[in-house]
Amino acid sequence: MIELFYEAGTLVATGASSGLPEPFVWDGRTRQWRAPASAYRETVLDLRAQGIPHEDRASAFEKIPLESRVAMEPRPYQKEALGAWRRDGLRGVVVLPTGAGKTAVAVSAMERVGRSTLVVVPTLALLKQWYSVLQDAFGGSVTIGLLGGGYHEITPITVTTYDSAYIHAERYGDRFALVVYDEVHHLPAPKNAIIPKMLLAPYALGLTATPERPDGGHDLLPDLAGPTVYRRSPEDLAGTYLAPFELIRIPIELTAQERFDYAQAEAVYRDFLEKHRLPMRSPEDWQRFIMVASTSHSGGREALLAARQRREIREGAMRKGATLETLLRRHWDDRIIVFAKSVDEVYALSRRFLIPGVTYETPARERKEILDRIREGRYRAVIASDVLNEGVDVPDAGVAVILAGSASRREYVQRLGRILRPREGKRAILYELVTTQTGEEFTARRRKEAFL
Amino acid sequence: MLRSEHVMARLYRGKLVTHSLSPDDQRALDVAGELCDLYAEHVGLPRSQLERELAVREEGLGPGLDARRGFKIVRAFSKLLEERASWSAPTEADPYTLRTRIFELAASLPEPPAAEAGLLEAPTREDVLSQVAVETGVEDPAAYMYADRQGAQLLGDFDRPSPGELVRRYNVAQVQGVLYSAKDLVVDLGEGADARLVFHYVKLLGLIYDLEPLAHGHRIHLDGPLSIFGGTRKYGLRLAKFLPGLLMTSPWKLSANVEWRGRDTVLELDSKTSGLESHYLGPKDEREADDVREAFVRAWERTKDTGGWQLERGGDVLPFPRRKVALVPDFTLRHTGTGEVVQLEILGFWSERNLVERVALLREAEKQGHRLLVAASERLGASQEALSGAVEGGVVSFKERLSAKAVLAALP
Repeated sequence: MIELFYEAGTLVATGASSGLPEPFVWDGRTRQWRAPASAYRETVLDLRAQGIPHEDRASAFEKIPLESRVAMEPRPYQKEALGAWRRDGLRGVVVLPTGAGKTAVAVSAMERVGRSTLVVVPTLALLKQWYSVLQDAFGGSVTIGLLGGGYHEITPITVTTYDSAYIHAERYGDRFALVVYDEVHHLPAPKNAIIPKMLLAPYALGLTATPERPDGGHDLLPDLAGPTVYRRSPEDLAGTYLAPFELIRIPIELTAQERFDYAQAEAVYRDFLEKHRLPMRSPEDWQRFIMVASTSHSGGREALLAARQRREIREGAMRKGATLETLLRRHWDDRIIVFAKSVDEVYALSRRFLIPGVTYETPARERKEILDRIREGRYRAVIASDVLNEGVDVPDAGVAVILAGSASRREYVQRLGRILRPREGKRAILYELVTTQTGEEFTARRRKEAFL
Repeated sequence: MLRSEHVMARLYRGKLVTHSLSPDDQRALDVAGELCDLYAEHVGLPRSQLERELAVREEGLGPGLDARRGFKIVRAFSKLLEERASWSAPTEADPYTLRTRIFELAASLPEPPAAEAGLLEAPTREDVLSQVAVETGVEDPAAYMYADRQGAQLLGDFDRPSPGELVRRYNVAQVQGVLYSAKDLVVDLGEGADARLVFHYVKLLGLIYDLEPLAHGHRIHLDGPLSIFGGTRKYGLRLAKFLPGLLMTSPWKLSANVEWRGRDTVLELDSKTSGLESHYLGPKDEREADDVREAFVRAWERTKDTGGWQLERGGDVLPFPRRKVALVPDFTLRHTGTGEVVQLEILGFWSERNLVERVALLREAEKQGHRLLVAASERLGASQEALSGAVEGGVVSFKERLSAKAVLAALP
């Protein structure tokens, strides 16, 4: 009789009277038939279809009754997406725009499968966000586990990152029947593509707004997570389901003193660049500048200092803080989320205004608590960092403030605006605070003034 | 171990050469020493302060050491020093409780806490903080509200290396860094190399080996379970961790297929020319068993009549592919007259789990036709009976030292 075992990300078969078909290969190193763990679904279906006696010692899935505690009233397209996924054998990719509720689709899929599930996400912020969503939905009957970002707790519903899955999937790849890949366009990356191979999981759900990859890697998706079973574009859902918002751009002018200091620092820095014929267009150029400046004997030290100073002035503009204070006062009753530029800025502002900050460093439980309290109205505002790269969900906030150094890209603002959720009858407002009168403008003026 | 961005290597005639520093290079030693000083001076101070200081040193020391690579070298040094440091919390108060209370109080105000007291007597930031100070007994709650951030941790302990040690560790770490991207590793173990030690690390790191006898020694091909479906870099990290284990013995040659910056290349090293030194201490139970072995060798040498039997240090490797382990008996006894060979395995002070595994291996070795003699310490306790049942060739038991006489008596 054929026996199947799970071994470090692979499927091992013993007791076969003859050779086994692809993708099994004879492993001469250990004298066994071996296949990637992902061959499990096809192998078991084949053995069953052909009536070959076999024993499955590989899978360690658990059947768990999953019923979400949260009423979700799926929007029609979410129901359609789930239906399409079921028709395709509980395996495939669902494409929905940001803010359309992809997580709700995953929660319904988990209810449907009712077995232990692994959720794989690209960032620590998303790890924590999924933890929070799953805790709300299933926390009553199941403990939600986390793997990555300092957490190593494996439970029947575990959230992990692509990076951690790459390292640890081979240890736990037998425990999950369903795997959910959030932002599934990360999966075809060379490192990540090996993750599905290490998992027995017969069911898979991929979620993304943009499956296409510039390197053409999306061609691998059908093999890694299944075919695209459902797709809707932002245009399909605009107006009806995605919140519209108003954008108010507030220019932050430097104070006279700041302007003076900035111009001085800028002059020193630019002179150095010119003298050494250094371009400044990319991060590599910056590295080069640092290197030249720190080896140069004349003025290098000063140029480094000036570069740092001018950045600090721009980021710490006095009026920016004061303007933020005004906005907080104006919207103290509206639930505000502030997007800061750096983690350090988040903590500085949190200390200054005594409102909670959320960054990738915030522990999962505390993060959930903060966002829950915003939702309940116990907290009025929250400051977060680098949110969009992380695809963070904003809890029922109607007002957002972006503290940008310079004007942000249009798509960025659009995406930020779309995740706002104003209360009934209100319109979401997005403020963008942009520091002006810095940079090129000043250099140009200074050059002209030099002739006076 | 280094982060990938600190790893430096170049291609020379199709082979990878990792960056290394000469342990005699005074400039490198000076920089290493200065960084060690910096860490030592920051014991008891916050991490963020140390990191700021390190950033300054990077700019100051790096370019003097090497115009192009100086930055990376300094960063790599500090990464390796960080591994020798431990961190502790700056306060006994729980920062989470502190800040949660601060946020709650501030949010309960009718408007954002004002920075300064005004004529309207609106509640200020100071009001909130002093109330929390009263409630918790923490003098300055704002200073400690994020004391659990990494940057706020204090440098508790620092295991200071000598500058030379740091430079040597750096050279090994660079090779390890290249091995992160290795798809496999082929090691040729020469005669006299400690195969037992090598297989200890193979097993510890969950690698799969393929063993091939050479005229003088063994060739071991190392990779992982998924490697047969096409080369993968997934086991690179483990191969990197394996390296210092290998460095503890000699002679050896190694070659690894490395995917370096998108190109398939080869890394080749050997124990004669590599100049690398391990920082591993070696397996603990092995170190203890070493004493027993050494004592036995001395006892054997003192014995006048060994009945034609010659004692050789274990050089035989008995592979057990399905178990992914290999048994490397401590000694081989060879009869000069008849050519008979008996393997001698000394079980010293093993943990119960180790022992069970060991016995299973011994049994399998006997099944394969190897003749085995097992010497077991009486300190192994209750497992003695199980042991003699398992090993047919009989068990020579000993207390502290294994005597040559007892072994000779048990030989056929």
